[in-house]
Amino acid sequence: MSKLRAFTMPKWGIEMVEGTISEWNVKVGEPVVKGQVIAQIETDKIVNEVEIEYDTRFVRLIAEPGQAYAVGELLAVTSSDTVEDEEIDTFVRAFVPAGGASAAPAGPSGTPPPAAAPAAPAVAPAPAAAGRDSPAIPAGSLISPAARELALRLSVNVSVIQGHGRSGRITLQDVDQAAKPIRSVHGGGPVAIEPTGAALDAFYASPYAKRLAVTHSVDLATLTGTGPRGRISRQDVVTAAGISAVPARGSAYEILRMSPTRKAIARQLTLSKSTIPHFYLRVSANVDALLALRAELKRAVGSAPSVNDYFIRAVALALVAAPDVNVQVHGDQIHRFRDADISVAVAADKGLIAPVIRAAQTKSVQGISAELRAVIERARAGKLRADEIVGGSFTVSNLGMFGVDQFDAIINPPQGAILAIGAARLCPVERGGGLSVAQVANFSLSCDHRAIDGAVGAAFLKELTALIETPQRL
Amino acid sequence: MAVMNMREAIASTIHAEMERDSNVLILGEDIVGGMGTAGGPEAIGGIWGLTGGLYAKFGPNRVIDTPISESCIIGAAAGAALSGKRAIAELMFADFVGVCLDQLYNQIAKFRYMFGGAKCPVTVRLTYGAGLNAAAQHSQAVYAMLTSIPGLKVVMPTTPADAKGLLTSAIRGDDPVMFFEHKTLYGDKGEVPDGDYLLPFGHARMVREGHDASIVTCGQMVGFAARAADNLAKEGIACDVIDLRTTSPMDEETILDSVEMSGRLIVVDESPPRCSLASDIAGLVANKGFAALRAPIEMVTPPHTPVPFARELEKAYLPSAAGIEAAVRKALAYR
Repeated sequence: MSKLRAFTMPKWGIEMVEGTISEWNVKVGEPVVKGQVIAQIETDKIVNEVEIEYDTRFVRLIAEPGQAYAVGELLAVTSSDTVEDEEIDTFVRAFVPAGGASAAPAGPSGTPPPAAAPAAPAVAPAPAAAGRDSPAIPAGSLISPAARELALRLSVNVSVIQGHGRSGRITLQDVDQAAKPIRSVHGGGPVAIEPTGAALDAFYASPYAKRLAVTHSVDLATLTGTGPRGRISRQDVVTAAGISAVPARGSAYEILRMSPTRKAIARQLTLSKSTIPHFYLRVSANVDALLALRAELKRAVGSAPSVNDYFIRAVALALVAAPDVNVQVHGDQIHRFRDADISVAVAADKGLIAPVIRAAQTKSVQGISAELRAVIERARAGKLRADEIVGGSFTVSNLGMFGVDQFDAIINPPQGAILAIGAARLCPVERGGGLSVAQVANFSLSCDHRAIDGAVGAAFLKELTALIETPQRL
Repeated sequence: MAVMNMREAIASTIHAEMERDSNVLILGEDIVGGMGTAGGPEAIGGIWGLTGGLYAKFGPNRVIDTPISESCIIGAAAGAALSGKRAIAELMFADFVGVCLDQLYNQIAKFRYMFGGAKCPVTVRLTYGAGLNAAAQHSQAVYAMLTSIPGLKVVMPTTPADAKGLLTSAIRGDDPVMFFEHKTLYGDKGEVPDGDYLLPFGHARMVREGHDASIVTCGQMVGFAARAADNLAKEGIACDVIDLRTTSPMDEETILDSVEMSGRLIVVDESPPRCSLASDIAGLVANKGFAALRAPIEMVTPPHTPVPFARELEKAYLPSAAGIEAAVRKALAYR
């Protein structure tokens, strides 16, 4: 094993193809430690400091300041031990940039390219991988070219991947999957999977059409099939269920038929507001620390979960601490949930919809963020599955992004409580005996008094605000 | 509704159709059973016990024992059908389809297309499938090969009721139908509608209904898939299980409707994986359901080998409920 490692042009962001060293902050031969700034690199967007990711010593600087180098191209050679010049020469000659076939130019550093060496000995097994802390891809690995490139780019250790190609060859999909966090298959209580349309056997209708007929109470006997061979298809039932609006000509208003979603919202919330004894607890929380934490993360990795994602995480943890709020009310029974299954109210085209983030207390802010983004996208596209919107233990409704300061929400039965979140605003706050300003957000908890008393709700809010004000705990 | 097994459902349907229409005749190897033995006709009743009583009732002109020649059986059936009869031809093992393949794919399948729309109402009944230690030449699931031939309809009942409905449609229809009977399903019991009962072709059956994944299958594998779905349902994973019932014509609409909702497809096929029903459906969905897919299509099939004879090996060869469960979980775990 060679002690030499290549330091190459990093890739910042998907569209970066080349960069320029504006200046080296190291000298040849000087030891450097992990985290030390070793150069300034300029792209067409920014100038940024480059930190070395391991303790070493620069034995040769190849890149000339002011000159552009392609991503992956050799900029310098490092080694923690002393090495001979010839050894470095050989290394530089043998260097192949990741994804490129040609040897890198020797560079203008005063090392003239040696005479063509057709059989230059391969000194480092995978110099392309160096400088990124990624394990090398052993020579002779069964891996497709695109998979190899991706593995190098994402620093994926391919030696632990089981290839699914012929004879165990590692495919692009194998690397893609290995690079992503493991996704747990959501389990839960038993579900019924008996066919709903079984009673409609006598009708010549597609299974999905029967299913829709049952859910939308459409009488198949009244339909004429337009599917293959005159079969009643999904579209026939959709049309019959009548989701289209009827324009009212010459009238001062138009008549819109309520969509099934709209009707469900109307039914559910009328029931809630007319039968559940609501009461409301309001608090505010200083979100300066949370916003700072988020800004820091955004600066460090380029993206960060939304403030709402942090709130949901905080709600999840607060629900675990105050389980008496994490309840559903069923007649004279209270179902207290072990997991914080949080319904998140989302405005979709067809109306309000509340997909459930299951066991949110087990998920990171990033995990919640990714799941919520995916689910909102599907909700807006009308592609949510029924099981994704039922069974939550608590609802969060945030209108902060619409500039609403504060509001009270209607409980989503059979749940026992709902949290309404407003926008963060600069407000005067008392600090150390004096007044200063801070970003403050308002929270209103609507509780079902049949199950939740004021003190219980207050305990939840106390924990929630504590979490939000010390966001490191999230 | 009467409860009967699939064997009884098929036998009673043949009886009923022969009674209903004097043009219906049946022919095959040893279907009378015992012909030429000391016991005389019907001493045995056919090796699958499906044709007992026919000879006594309908006589030698309509219940015909043939020589051991599949070409002869199918050729004779084709000739009879072209001249106005409705022939039910029995191939004792579907594996022997190779012997009479020319009669099937070059002749029967082409008549209507080539000869002025000539009607050829032949129902070829084939006993197929693995699971009974019948070894490599008597256990194959050859339906994929026949499904690929334009001009043939391919039918695979999985319940006694479906057997009745589909066989009745096959016999009364004017086109050649390959009617696949799985040898392990003959004893399965179920309710069978009384009287006339016809099922249209290309009309899949929903065996289970969920929305997390779509398991599409046919034949013996339907039971395996239902078992897998039931196990998964205990943990809150809800799967559609679709029994295709016929693979030609195939109910594309039901497959796509289901995948468009679930986003995950698991195809389970008893035939080996190459150029199979599984790959055909995977291709269909990759082509027409791509936008809905949330995970790679999983195919659960035997390996690309002949069916082994040894009991343990045959078990390992066939897809299993556990294997189907694993495939569903794999699709759900896709990131």
